[in-house]
Amino acid sequence: MDFPFMKEALSQLFSKSSCAMYPAVPSEAAPGYRGRIIYHPERCIACGMCERVCSGNAITRTVEHLEEGQDKITLTFNLGSCTFCATCADFCAKQAIEFTGDYHMVATKEEDLLVSGSFIKAAPKKKAPAADKSQGCQAPASGGPTVKPRDDGKPVNDPARCVYCTLCARKCPVQALTVDRAAKTWTLDEDKCIACGSCAQACPKNCIII
Amino acid sequence: MFKKLIEESTGKSPWLFHINAGSCNGCDIELVSVLTPRYDAERLGFKLAGSPRHADIVVVTGPVTKQSLPRVLRAISQVPEPRCIVTMGSCPQSGNVFRGSYSVAGPLSKYVDVDVDVAGCAPKPEAIIDGLALAAKILKEKRGRKK
Repeated sequence: MDFPFMKEALSQLFSKSSCAMYPAVPSEAAPGYRGRIIYHPERCIACGMCERVCSGNAITRTVEHLEEGQDKITLTFNLGSCTFCATCADFCAKQAIEFTGDYHMVATKEEDLLVSGSFIKAAPKKKAPAADKSQGCQAPASGGPTVKPRDDGKPVNDPARCVYCTLCARKCPVQALTVDRAAKTWTLDEDKCIACGSCAQACPKNCIII
Repeated sequence: MFKKLIEESTGKSPWLFHINAGSCNGCDIELVSVLTPRYDAERLGFKLAGSPRHADIVVVTGPVTKQSLPRVLRAISQVPEPRCIVTMGSCPQSGNVFRGSYSVAGPLSKYVDVDVDVAGCAPKPEAIIDGLALAAKILKEKRGRKK
């Protein structure tokens, strides 16, 4: 008499269970797993890039005006609307959004799934309008190969290396840059600029200095 | 005496009914993986029921489309009280990427009282087991209140 699967059946009978035994044996998420979001408000500059690229509309930014030109900016991440695609973290110029391996996102109330943080941002000081336009503008090309970085974190263009590709202007979250390819001009609107550094990251020639 | 015995044993083994309300199938597959031998929620008493009338816990996946809404509500109303409604994934909680679509009627909390939300897209099987354990606990509390 033939028992075709007898060997297999007997070996399975005495082998270890394939079950992960989860609640008794704790389990760690695999490296690179995108779980609960940690938001670092101290790094954030409220450029709004994360909000713009979010496909699930999970990120909301509220601005509360305090006295003396200060704004309290609050970013709220709704994990109940998040797809955990990490596009916001990829686009964040300041690495203020972090995805952790924490997958225990179980809640009985919707408020438990909100991750939020706030920081106070001082409004930029207004300079004399006549002075800042000329300073932000392109310097004559006869100058040295490098330009000095500014002390306020806003970008400066090195006209010797710049090819006027307009990538920086396209990446700017607040449309503070105007680049004209034909006229070969690079203009920064200092009142709009929030010093996020997106333009310098986008520059293929590394000619924007922060 | 029999009633007490039945109540005790149903508390140990809550049966699930799974409703797909227009899900992309990601969460459905994760729920299946929870019930099959790798994560084996059946060893904790959770069992998939074929009919809503047999179920204690309703698991809803998907953003609740207009087509599925009357069927979802009908199936949920057939589940006997006390019942526990679990939303799985981001879709039934908020609509997720389908939010604002002409065919989406969600979120589910507009129509029924949701007890447990399991976030994630799709949630990890471990998170689903956590959510089901929480649902079983809530179910026990509801039974105690009913008595």
